[in-house]
Formats: sequence, structure tokens, C-alpha cells
Amino acid sequence: MPDAAAATAPDRESAEGALAFLAEMSPDLRGAAILGPEGEVLAATGEAPERWQEDAAALFAAADGAEGAPVEQVHIATEQGEVFAVRNAGLAAVTVTDRFALASLMLFDMRSTLRRLASSNSSSPERGQPRSGD
Amino acid sequence: MQKPHRIVLDRVSAYADEAAAFMRRRRVARRPFARLYYPHGRSADHAQDSHSGAELFVAAGRLIEVAGKQEKG
Repeated sequence: MPDAAAATAPDRESAEGALAFLAEMSPDLRGAAILGPEGEVLAATGEAPERWQEDAAALFAAADGAEGAPVEQVHIATEQGEVFAVRNAGLAAVTVTDRFALASLMLFDMRSTLRRLASSNSSSPERGQPRSGD
Repeated sequence: MQKPHRIVLDRVSAYADEAAAFMRRRRVARRPFARLYYPHGRSADHAQDSHSGAELFVAAGRLIEVAGKQEKG
């Protein structure tokens, strides 16, 4: 699940735009999803957003359970590819990349994408109360 | 004496070679890992054969499977 700072979820159109921008910036990206405050999929690549929701929830549950504390970022490198997950500003992003993707760049791009998405949401006049950011 | 632009080109080429060698070494040396980052910059690695590590790798494998079902854009 994303972190606790979320008040309202950005609309799906904004999330899809943010996901497209993330994909454009990251040539190693195979697939990704952006999750809202309740862990719901706001945008995802491919045809199975419900799978992203389920599997991202399982990843965050495993990560949070590892030391009994909520994680901020996850990086798992396997022989088949790499998985990154980031919580920021009440939202979460999960990406899958080819092996040997540059982790620091990937995590930075994911964080900045979420931050931008959250700030665009809070600055929207029809949306709820402003966010505190990170 | 070499022309100045040759010196610059040689220098750039040397840096590129170094970078390529670094990436090659990195690919050879790197093994699967699961790394978690917590607030305030703390991080922790979890071995694949530990209980927590195994759960993380299973979850990651499922996500890779979901992402792998589509064409690369």
C-alpha cells in the first residue's frame, strides 16, 4: 500500500499521463503501474490492471513484513528482470525493467513522477485539501 | 604534436572505455538481491534463502510475469 500522506487520488487521466512520461524516460522499462492511496491501480501498462494491483499489494506486504516497518523503496534484482517500487506523497509506483537498469536513476524518476502527480492533484481547484508533499 | 581536438577525442574515448569496462564487470559480478529502503536513508538487504527474501522474490517474480506479457514499447 502507498504511504499515509494521501488525501485524494489523482484522476486516472493524469496518472496515465505520468505513466507514459515515466515510460518515455526509462528505456529499460517493461511495465509499470501507479497506485492510489488505497492501493488501487490508477494507471498500468498492459491489459491486466487487477494483476498489478494484487501483485503490487503482495510485494508491499512482503516488504513491510520483512522488518515490521513500512518501506519507502524496494529494489529486487532477479535473473529475469528487476522490480522497483516507490512510495511517495501518498501514491505508489511499481516498475519492472530489464536486468541491469540503473537503479538510482529509475528510483529518482519514479519518485519525481509521483511527486509531480501528487502536486498536480493538490493544485487542481476541484480537488480536496492541499498535500504536504513527501 | 597532437592537435587539441585529437586530445579531447582520445580523452572522451578513454572515459567511454572505462565506463564500458565498469558495466561489464558489474554485469558479471551482480547476483540477484532484494534491497529495501526505509525512511531516513536506512536500507537492508534480504538474502534469497531467508524467509523474508523468499517472499520478496516470489512477489517480484509475479510482477515480472505481469509485465512480461506485453510488448516492449
